[in-house]
Amino acid sequence: MSMVPNTDRIKRMADNLASMEPVKGRSLWQDAMHRFLQNKAAVTSVIVLTLVVLFSLIGPYFAVWTNEEIDWSRIGKAAELGAPSIANGHFFGIDNLGRDLYSRVIQGTQVSLMVGLIGAGIAVIVGTLYGATAGYFGGRVDSVMMRLVDILMSIPYMFVLILLLVVFGRSLQMLFVGIGLISWLDMSRIVRGQTLSIKNKEFVEAAVATGVPSFTIIVRHIVPNLMGVVVVYATLLVPGMIITESFISFLGLGVQEPNTSWGALISEGAGTIAYGTIWQLLVPLFFFVITLFSFFFIGDGLRDALDPKDR
Amino acid sequence: MLSFIIRRLGIAIPTLLILVIFSFSMMHLAPGGPFTSERPLPPQVLANIEAKYGLDQPVYVQMGNYIWGIVTEFDFGPSFRFKDRTVNDVIAQGFPVTLTYGFWSFVVAVGVGVTLGAAAAIYHNSWLDYLAVGISIGAQVLPNFVMAPILVLTLTLWLGLLPGGGWNGGQWQYLIMPVIALSTSYMASIARITRSSMLEVLNSNFIRTARAKGLSNSRIIIKHALKPTMLPVISYLGPAFVGMVTGSVVIDLYFSTGGIGQMFVNSALSRDYSVMMGITILMGSLVIIFNMIVDILYAWIDPKIRL
Amino acid sequence: MKFSPILRSSVLALGVASLALMGTSAYAAKVPEGVVLAEDQTFTYRDLDEFSSLDPQIVEDVSGSAIIRDLFEGLLNEDADGNLVPGVAERWEASDDKMTYTFYLRDNAKWSNGDPVTANDFVYAWRRAADPETASPYSWYMDLMSIENVADVLSGDKEPVALGVRAVDDLTLEVKLTTPLSYFPQMVTHATTFPTHQATIEKYGDEWTKPENIVSNGAYTLAEHVPNERSVRVRNPLYWNDAETVIEKTTALIINDENAALTRYLAGELDRTEVPTGQYPRLKEEYPDQALSFPRLCSYYYTFNLSDSGPEAFKDVRVRQALSYAIDRSVITDNVLQGGQFPAFTFTPGSTAGFEVPDVPFGQMTQAERDAKAVELLAEAGYGPDNPLRFDMIYNTSEGHKQIATVMSQMWKQKLGVEATLGNMEWKVFLETRGAQDFELARGAWCGDYNEASTFLDLVQTNSGYNDGKYSNSEIDQLLADAKTGGDATANYTRIEQIMAEEMPVIPIYHYTGVYMMNPQIVDSWPVQNVQQNWYSRDLYKVAK
Repeated sequence: MSMVPNTDRIKRMADNLASMEPVKGRSLWQDAMHRFLQNKAAVTSVIVLTLVVLFSLIGPYFAVWTNEEIDWSRIGKAAELGAPSIANGHFFGIDNLGRDLYSRVIQGTQVSLMVGLIGAGIAVIVGTLYGATAGYFGGRVDSVMMRLVDILMSIPYMFVLILLLVVFGRSLQMLFVGIGLISWLDMSRIVRGQTLSIKNKEFVEAAVATGVPSFTIIVRHIVPNLMGVVVVYATLLVPGMIITESFISFLGLGVQEPNTSWGALISEGAGTIAYGTIWQLLVPLFFFVITLFSFFFIGDGLRDALDPKDR
Repeated sequence: MLSFIIRRLGIAIPTLLILVIFSFSMMHLAPGGPFTSERPLPPQVLANIEAKYGLDQPVYVQMGNYIWGIVTEFDFGPSFRFKDRTVNDVIAQGFPVTLTYGFWSFVVAVGVGVTLGAAAAIYHNSWLDYLAVGISIGAQVLPNFVMAPILVLTLTLWLGLLPGGGWNGGQWQYLIMPVIALSTSYMASIARITRSSMLEVLNSNFIRTARAKGLSNSRIIIKHALKPTMLPVISYLGPAFVGMVTGSVVIDLYFSTGGIGQMFVNSALSRDYSVMMGITILMGSLVIIFNMIVDILYAWIDPKIRL
Repeated sequence: MKFSPILRSSVLALGVASLALMGTSAYAAKVPEGVVLAEDQTFTYRDLDEFSSLDPQIVEDVSGSAIIRDLFEGLLNEDADGNLVPGVAERWEASDDKMTYTFYLRDNAKWSNGDPVTANDFVYAWRRAADPETASPYSWYMDLMSIENVADVLSGDKEPVALGVRAVDDLTLEVKLTTPLSYFPQMVTHATTFPTHQATIEKYGDEWTKPENIVSNGAYTLAEHVPNERSVRVRNPLYWNDAETVIEKTTALIINDENAALTRYLAGELDRTEVPTGQYPRLKEEYPDQALSFPRLCSYYYTFNLSDSGPEAFKDVRVRQALSYAIDRSVITDNVLQGGQFPAFTFTPGSTAGFEVPDVPFGQMTQAERDAKAVELLAEAGYGPDNPLRFDMIYNTSEGHKQIATVMSQMWKQKLGVEATLGNMEWKVFLETRGAQDFELARGAWCGDYNEASTFLDLVQTNSGYNDGKYSNSEIDQLLADAKTGGDATANYTRIEQIMAEEMPVIPIYHYTGVYMMNPQIVDSWPVQNVQQNWYSRDLYKVAK
């Protein structure tokens, strides 16, 4: 082997280096996105979820019946005449009152998705701010704030919810308030834990040293770094919200007629399985299940993507 | 450890107090009272009833009397709806029911969940793993108010194997379906948590060391991996317990077991104030005690945590 | 609407004003000749909810009353057709002015601890029911019976001993009324008037109804009571007519969900359960000998708020008529309920004893004619698709009520362009809201307390405590007052119904039927003709399969 440098090769390398594009750095987010896209289950779930949302937005244009119109010729005869059919416009069949299940499922999808997203939204906003504040200030403030959370967590939330709904009457807004009130507790605990480890990092020290006020530090430095964890847990919260809402509808305390939700449709359908109208259960249950599945996979995928150690 | 328990109990008292005050106020805010009925009572009779139950006094006086009664005599008052029974009677009747099937649901959820999750982790990426993950996600999305009627239809009507409901003193035939319906979704969550936790533990350094030292697989898992795996599972147990308490409402409604959950909903709807309060306090206390036990368990397993 | 001659004859039985001598035939299970009885004589049925109490003077619900009818026995009972038959009282006499009733008790009626049942037990019980100290939710029933001094006792102005009931001797009970009531004997079949054992109540206080303490005088004693799950009553050998009792044991299971109950019935765990809404035709086809439907003494209606707080639109009689005409009642009864219910154009059900449903004009039209007239009336009142009528309609939470309300609102929307907003609330809140006139249109239902038309028509009296819509018509008030004192009130009742059809203070929807699944072994002995469904376990028997 020759020990003399190969000038040709070196010349070629120098030329390459000169003409090469500057290496584009990859941010952490792009890294995460890349990992996420490799997770087949998560990507499929995103597609499915998008389809469900599109369905709820565009579906109404194909509807032959509204969600409250009664088909007088079929009312009461769901078992014989009410099965799904393209011909009579009842794509998903009818319910026991002769109302079109297609439109009702669409409307129920809208309501349930809204409940899930808004509930999770409230949890994120309130929980993050509360937890970050407690974690950042530490000491007595943290102690008191977290004790409060502990106390609130030991109250069986269903009882509180029932009380709320009984006292203030049933309405969609009340439902949001009720669900939001309970959901932020878990989030605040998680955020506090994360804050404890972030606040010891150098960039926070630097901000403190330069005299940035505490709340600005929390909002501009700590919270953005929490986003990973928060997003993951938020996605896992949404199915929980939807399940809570369906449980409340099952108790009869949720959405009011003629509006409906997945929970209401499923509990109606569950009651009539023995009477030959199985589509009344299967259709809303199908949407319910695939949406929850999707949220689970997306949440898992996000967690794997954002923190590979935690797989 | 003793000082930890004392500290926790010390916090429990103000917690319960806040719970009582909150629930009491909420209930009295609700329209309608226990004696609102379709056939209105003659005024003197109504006045008498209200005096008998102390409803004619201002709310804070009632609350004070109520708390005093509990503290001094453990007396939760008379039931407004069941005229010949006290709250203590009502709760003593329903609580053992909920406790029994709740306990068994817990055992099943933890037992089956941990086993399933551990098996999935140990045989990672095999068909067992995919099956376990599939089952657990599937079980998690089926709400128990859908499972309950399906169970009754299949096992009682079509197969004729089990009675369709009731309690009958808690014989095993009456326990099976409630336990299945209640434990399923928690079993699923526990399985998933166990699986991901054990995967992490199995990939950690100290396990690698143990393998390098030549320890057998089963010894590694049981003696070394299990304890740290259980940490996230144990922190989940608290919320799982609370969830089972609320889920018991559905179980009671479908299987007519006569437990506390159904009693609570019924008493809320009929404004039976004292029963509502009694159950709320009972459940709140249970949750507090349970969380305390969970924390102790956590500290026992994780030597880094000192109580 | 005409009913069977059997109901007509029960009218005659009521109208008898002098000595009512009963025959010596058996009053319990009349097992016909040649019927083979089953080995197992137990009856298990479903109750929706736990009953409020087993104390006769305190019970306020139907399920509790059924159990109390087995555990205790009052002065008189009802037979399978709803006619009066002797209970603890062998016979009774009414004075000519129908204001004094004397009941002669039998000498062999015993309490379950061996004590004889005397008139003093009834006096104790009735005083207790009216005593404000007892705080009975059903004390208003004593007021309804119009016993002397009852109003003063209820308000606390007089002591209970002032109540116009006394024991002439151990076996004779005398009651004095303030108003002549020809149907008074009917009223003593109700649980509130059953006797109670004074010594037991004084000894155990509120706990006297527990199985280990309770003393009762009926055909059965309480063997077991697990709240919210079951209650069991078994034959009482000390009952005076025990020889005729066939059923050994009756069990009531509490099952909230009607679909779950049906499943358990079909699995053989129950002998009787209610048919879930809309399922009757299918079940009738699959199980023709088990699905039953028969008239009940109840009406379903919607009431307008006619007080000052009510909407202006409802003050116009044309609006009320239009809304009532546009409802296609046969869709509700035939397509939603599907249980053989009767579309109602008048308030009182035809199954009421002595009552014949009068023909009112709008009931005679076809639905198409009614719809056309409704559009016309509403237009006259100034409403239509360009000026839609808007109001709220409320009902109490229930799947069935929700379905009916939805159907009604859709009918109005499609035919009249009316926008009715549905609101449901749970029972207690609903009662408060309706009772405070805080509504526009509210659902209502009424079951008769006794089998005579005044129990329904009293609701539209101006001062009635149940007149939540605050409807007032002086002619009706006068007719009702006259009906109590006079002899034959039929003409008055017919006229009242006609006025109601013209003024439409309420929208009558349908008259109830009882829709049950019943074990064919027990169907033969079930009192399907008893519209109040006052059934007694001691009248039932199970036929061999």
